[in-house]
Amino acid sequence: MDMTLFLQQFLNGLSIGSVYAIFALGYTLVYSILGIINLAHGAVFTLGAYLTYTLMGSAFGFNGLLANAKLPIQLPFAIALIVGSTLAGLVGVAVERIAFQPLRRKGSDPLLTVVSSLGVSVVIVNLIQYLVGAESYTFPATTYGNLPPALNFGTPENPIPIRTVQVMIFAVSMVIVAILTYFISSTKYGKAMQAIAEDPTTASLLGINTDRYIILTFFISSFLAGVAGTLVASSVSIAGPYFGIGFGLRGLAVIVLGGLGSIPGAVLGGLVIGLVEAFVPGEYSGYKDAVAFGILFIMLLVRPQGLLGRRLIQKV
Amino acid sequence: MKKPASLTTALFIICAVLLTACGGGANTNTNEKTNSATNTSTTTSTSGAILIGIALAQTSNVALLGQEGFVGSKMAEKYFNDQGGINGTPIRLVMQDTGGDEAGAINAFQTLINKDKVVGIVGPTLSQQAFSADPIADRAKVPVFGASNTAKGIPEIGEYVSRVSAPVSIVAPNSVKAAIKLNPQIKRVAVFYAQNDAFNKSETEIFQKTVKEQGLELVTVQKFQTTDTDFQAPATNALNLKPDLVIISGLAADGGNLVRQLRELGYKGIIVGGNGFNTPNIFSVCKALCDGVLVAQAYSPEYPGKINVEFRKAYVDQYKKEPAQFSAQSFTAVQVYVEALKALDKKTKISTIPLNQLRTELNKQRITGKYDTPLGEISFTPGRDIVQKEFYVSQLKVDKDGNNGKFVLVK
Repeated sequence: MDMTLFLQQFLNGLSIGSVYAIFALGYTLVYSILGIINLAHGAVFTLGAYLTYTLMGSAFGFNGLLANAKLPIQLPFAIALIVGSTLAGLVGVAVERIAFQPLRRKGSDPLLTVVSSLGVSVVIVNLIQYLVGAESYTFPATTYGNLPPALNFGTPENPIPIRTVQVMIFAVSMVIVAILTYFISSTKYGKAMQAIAEDPTTASLLGINTDRYIILTFFISSFLAGVAGTLVASSVSIAGPYFGIGFGLRGLAVIVLGGLGSIPGAVLGGLVIGLVEAFVPGEYSGYKDAVAFGILFIMLLVRPQGLLGRRLIQKV
Repeated sequence: MKKPASLTTALFIICAVLLTACGGGANTNTNEKTNSATNTSTTTSTSGAILIGIALAQTSNVALLGQEGFVGSKMAEKYFNDQGGINGTPIRLVMQDTGGDEAGAINAFQTLINKDKVVGIVGPTLSQQAFSADPIADRAKVPVFGASNTAKGIPEIGEYVSRVSAPVSIVAPNSVKAAIKLNPQIKRVAVFYAQNDAFNKSETEIFQKTVKEQGLELVTVQKFQTTDTDFQAPATNALNLKPDLVIISGLAADGGNLVRQLRELGYKGIIVGGNGFNTPNIFSVCKALCDGVLVAQAYSPEYPGKINVEFRKAYVDQYKKEPAQFSAQSFTAVQVYVEALKALDKKTKISTIPLNQLRTELNKQRITGKYDTPLGEISFTPGRDIVQKEFYVSQLKVDKDGNNGKFVLVK
């Protein structure tokens, strides 16, 4: 592999890895608080992309209930991203109220909650298809303003072109990781979330309203899914309602690799999986998932707590 | 005792999600409208309407192709029923979703044959699916029309299998020739194809053969998957070899994305797209960057035949855009069934023929005639492959707003 291609793939890997990271952070937050995995996360990822697309005033195709419909407003990408992801966050809160809270109240097995979130995921995906059909949708060409389509990271004689959108994705993702880290480690809310993650019973004895923080966690988690969905879609278009499934799976590989419940672990895991995938040769691209899960498998054998996870200590 | 068995749970979840991931495409075929007239006797065809099965993808990543086909067949149902159906008896379509994979196509075929008891089937969407599902219809002696299966070897699957989609070996070379006509300086060619799909594999063989026959140099062959979205690695690999023609065999979503990424990475030469590009849905994928892509077609909305003019008008009225090739081909498949059934009905009233016998006679009858269809005049070889007179090469022209566009005939 020559140097140009190596650098290019390295930057591509960082870019996609950074999206995996913010997506997996959503899984991790919910896991830390509730000890379960929200399988509707991939569907909310997809929904976030569709919401941002809609808010930018783009039209839908000729299949589905909303054929040819579009909003009368056209928000710029940055605002549509924030509003769309916020809406995705609210959907996440609704998912919590519908699929998680009733079961938690009854003290059901966590496995049942997982199955229930899977059900919500199927409903969301099918609802999207029912409303807007199965077509692919691409964000308008002006999504990132009037930037050139590719940036040159090499010299004029020996160009290393990287698509601008990849660079933007990496930048936005890193900003979000930084904000989230600050929020969790340095604000009152973040500290309360950490306390609940450590021990919900003690936290509520200390006067923390656990239920409210669960809602907040779901909101942030789904907001992150919405951002990740939108960023990916801005690079490779929304490939249809099933578009989030593959990401949902890879997100699981990322959090197990990084360490369940570990925030730096999710970021590191995301970047590692992104980079490894980028170096899978194009003709073997069908094996990208296999590579991600191969890593996961080896990790479970040699270091089950993940790269940065803590070993569970049974305290009975 | 905290966080019980987290790793076991995680593994369970992965298995569960993998199951849904597959299920998403294949197993959603129960929510289609099942026909009210299906529960009729097994020995005669229905008393109310003649049932024709449509087995196309309504879900999965090929759903957009399947939905176009479905739209075409629905238009045929209305068109021919308005003209009196089969000498007074209406036809009714029974739709089963195949999803994008082989298992889904097999399910749909079995339901149509055994439960819905249709006289014939139109489908499936992909050649890849046809190789698995068509043998089932052939064994059950139920006629099948592929309306979008263009790979080598489809009619050879069995004597109940035919198609109205012209084989890729006849259609594909036209677009390469048109590219050379547009730019006689072309020398270096880069070929891309989706390696996980039977049709695209067979199409790329034809493209590569044409490139050699035209005396051009094939500088690289890059493979990808129809499910891929990121093509920067293969695109860079190819562009480093400075091609002046790029030929892509893929489906609309992946092919469109590849075009977009090639252009963004600075490719300026001509792009030829295969049959997967043959859909107006391509515009929503690569938008303004689709402009100028050349596609060989087995159908053009511009064809002046009477039935095509009516079909085009009805389509544009309803969907506000030009009909897609797959819509025209599905329309044609239903049309051939209707006309063949009419011919049979003239000899013996078809409502009196037992279903099994009707299926066999329909299978023989359909390949005997000549049909004036939206694709132009067609007939069939004794080997049940389509004989089509007209072929076209079009260039994608994107509207000013960049959201939609047209296929403009290259003269």
